Amino acid sequence: MRHHFLQFFILLLLIVGSPQLYSQFCDFTLKGNVFDLHDNTPIFSALVTIEGTTFLSQTDELGNYKIQGLCPGIYTLLIKHPKCKSLKRKINFRSNKEINFELEHHINELEEIIISDSKLEVINSSVKESRLNTDQITQFSSRSLTDAINTFSGVSVLKTGSAIAKPLIHGMFGSRVGIVANGIRLRDQEWGSDHSPNIDLNAFENVQVVKGSAALKYGGDTAGGIIVLSPYKLFLKDSLFGQTVLNGATNGRGGGITSKIMKSTSNGYYFKGQLSAKRFGDLSTPEYVLSNTGMKEFNFSFKIGRSKVLRGWEFNYSRYQNEAGILRAAHIGNVQDLFNALQSEFPLRINPFTYGVESPKQQGVHQNIQFSYFKILKNKAKWEWNYNYQVNQRKEFDVRRGLRSEIPAIDLKLQTQSLTGNYSWKKTFDWNFDWGINGLLEDNFSNPNTGIKRLIPDYLKYELGSYFLGTYKPNNNFSWDWGVRLDAIYLEAQKYYKTSDWIDRGYDRQYPEFEMKNLGTQILTNPQARFFNFAAHTGFSSRIGPSIETSMSYVLSQRAPNASELFSDGLHHSLASIEYGNLRLQKETTHKILTSISKSAMAYRFSIEPYVSYTDNYIYIAPVGLEQTIRGAFPVWQYEVTDALLWGIDANLDFKFSDQFNLDINASYIHAEDLKNNLPLINIPPLNSSQSIKYTSPKKRYDIELVNHFVAKQNRFSDFNFTVNILQDGAIVKQIVDVSTPPEAYHNLDVLFSMYLGKVNQSKTILRFMFYNITQTNYRDYLNRMRFYANEIGFNAQVQLVLKY
Amino acid sequence: MKKLINLNYSFTFLLVALFLVSCSKDSTPEVIEEQELITTVTLEITAANQPTQSIRWKVDETNNNTVSLKANTDYEVSIGFLDESDPGDVEDITEEVREEADEHQVFYEFSNVSVSYSSSDTDTLDGDGNPVFIKSIWNASTTGSGIIRAYLIHEPTTKNSSTRAGFGGETDVEIDIPITVIE
Repeated sequence: MRHHFLQFFILLLLIVGSPQLYSQFCDFTLKGNVFDLHDNTPIFSALVTIEGTTFLSQTDELGNYKIQGLCPGIYTLLIKHPKCKSLKRKINFRSNKEINFELEHHINELEEIIISDSKLEVINSSVKESRLNTDQITQFSSRSLTDAINTFSGVSVLKTGSAIAKPLIHGMFGSRVGIVANGIRLRDQEWGSDHSPNIDLNAFENVQVVKGSAALKYGGDTAGGIIVLSPYKLFLKDSLFGQTVLNGATNGRGGGITSKIMKSTSNGYYFKGQLSAKRFGDLSTPEYVLSNTGMKEFNFSFKIGRSKVLRGWEFNYSRYQNEAGILRAAHIGNVQDLFNALQSEFPLRINPFTYGVESPKQQGVHQNIQFSYFKILKNKAKWEWNYNYQVNQRKEFDVRRGLRSEIPAIDLKLQTQSLTGNYSWKKTFDWNFDWGINGLLEDNFSNPNTGIKRLIPDYLKYELGSYFLGTYKPNNNFSWDWGVRLDAIYLEAQKYYKTSDWIDRGYDRQYPEFEMKNLGTQILTNPQARFFNFAAHTGFSSRIGPSIETSMSYVLSQRAPNASELFSDGLHHSLASIEYGNLRLQKETTHKILTSISKSAMAYRFSIEPYVSYTDNYIYIAPVGLEQTIRGAFPVWQYEVTDALLWGIDANLDFKFSDQFNLDINASYIHAEDLKNNLPLINIPPLNSSQSIKYTSPKKRYDIELVNHFVAKQNRFSDFNFTVNILQDGAIVKQIVDVSTPPEAYHNLDVLFSMYLGKVNQSKTILRFMFYNITQTNYRDYLNRMRFYANEIGFNAQVQLVLKY
Repeated sequence: MKKLINLNYSFTFLLVALFLVSCSKDSTPEVIEEQELITTVTLEITAANQPTQSIRWKVDETNNNTVSLKANTDYEVSIGFLDESDPGDVEDITEEVREEADEHQVFYEFSNVSVSYSSSDTDTLDGDGNPVFIKSIWNASTTGSGIIRAYLIHEPTTKNSSTRAGFGGETDVEIDIPITVIE
């Protein structure tokens, strides 16, 4: 009623007021539309007024307004609507003009959507996930993603030295573990055990680890698990905040800085910029310097986007660049060198500390460009689109003759484009569905200027996948979810084989259609492979009584062999071995059952998570013979298949003695068997446990934590030893090169001390002192490839200053 | 629902576009001729009043040439390294070894026979005056048959040692050649 009165009043004003007041120069018109910021619908009966005048207009059903008879000049426009936030805009008015305005609904009307969207979503409700929050990420800011998630039970680290580390989940790594950043699978050279994921942990605020391939949205091939990194979501309000973390460490005499700033505005625009840099020199064990283990890293990222709650877009760019040295003593020439290195207690090359990194070393640059868009439809269904382009460049340098050490021995460029669409909707309140489609194109280029035959050939890969997921959650005590995914993969490579190898392996008879050009000693081939993979998942989680929660799920995953497993062809300098891919490999199929039971009470929380997985056609690398070279006989390792059974238990106990004292115990055990040969699988983490006791001061001004890591000796291993003939005192002596026996068990003690400065519970400044391996324990780790050459690093004191603003 | 279908069309279109762009890659990769390969080791053995022996050890071939020495006789042994992977373009790697004398070391070990060797006058010396043993003088003291193990060591940690382990560094060449020493 009131509106009508207003309309009438305006009309009256327009008719009566304007002709009288203004001369013939003042007959210009200002018009336009007023829209809703969130869904672009026209806003009816918004009032557009010019401050200091009586001019005004009210929008019609189509959002149109019109003010006539205006003189040129500078005006302040005020746009109002009872349900929206008012908007003020200054304009320089010269002639007829059309201006559109976007008004924003008072935020409470959209609260429901905002809240449901800003919460960190559980990736799979029937598989327990582990999470790192911003604070924990900060603690690891000068280390790596892999180190950070190593704190979870069931997650271990496969290392080459200290700087090169990759996650191992439930005994699996590489292509069997997916890393998802900003909703997109990271596409880097994930094949080798000596490649760390090219990602900067500091660009993210949340890390979730889902064990098992229960995140079909991101792929159906990760039988080990999936790591999801996600940023904060920024929402419509004016805010500006950031964080800077400074780190310094004694071991490696280096440190780093990471800084980020986030800005959001009430009209939906947001921006985030982040950069981090770190540099370390040679690390040290308690007794000696690990020569050539320095590293440097420089990363930056930014994103800009606009979220209008009901729709939004985002552009994201990130660049990661690192250089990491590989222990100089681990670069060896042949089997006898390896034997000598194993015999020696110390690395055979120890130089004074330096920041410089020489060959052997690795360099990586990873760039990621992403554009995403979402829209929430009337029925609250949501469309999300994501286009992504990733370029991964990887160079590995060996010690070479001539001045060739400067030329990379491996020089790969992997480019990936992908497009993903996801449609999620609710059917009644209990049912949630997700349907999505994903297309991917990958191009690997191996630079021929290395002067060394390509380890990984040039190839093209196409993938097309689609998934359908559902969750049924009738109440807070029960949820059931399921999902299916189909992927079609086509891979086409162009590879030169040594003609004799091509014939020796019988490829000439089995794959004559791949032969393209015979160049005498080398043959150019064009191997092609097609895979159709099916993945499925179902599971439930249920609360029994007030304190017990259980979950159980079954996951079926299929994985196509990766380019390395199919084609790799080269010498491994740190293991004195020749590695060959296998063209005959087929996809592997894993069935996995994960269960968990947890109980929480006032003073404690404990959980145990047993799992078992069976893989048909499990791809692994095994020694198959010897090859005579100019450097003597080399063991040849080739990718083979077997059936694998892995089972294990992850356990966690959190006990609260009082508000001040807290005890946390993690433990995990894995048992892995090669069923065809009745042998244990290689590189399986031994029994390990970490125990920490934490004291928090009454007002949470500071806390101190003592952490003990225990890693048992891996007693289950296959004997892959071989012999070498050594000349000793004029006679040939057969010696065993023991590359199989795992190192002894060890303990490792850390102390972490944090001080929270400033206001209680709202600390803006945190000062941390972290001391690692305080007892200077000398030990070697089974999962570190450098264990044949040197001990793990010794005492390290780290200072960290966190500034939030 | 109509909007949904539209979006699907656009998605399909984008996918097709994406794939068409990619199909333009049809260039065949370049052949790589390995640069620092050593395929062949040669030993040129000469002594006064003795026939010259030329021994070739080539990878991927059956190598059963035997060196035969007379005891207590000085022989000059010249070792050579070749890259014969491309028969049309044989490269002499020995030259590269000489140029980088500081980073290389030739070393011999013998089994079952006792042979001593020293640097020849025409040998290459490194920056510190250490012999590389590309040219060496051999003298056998016991008779019998055994094995010569010839090494080319890259970046040895020391230039003065009497065992392979003592030199450190990486083995670039390690080959065995049968030897007989007669009276």
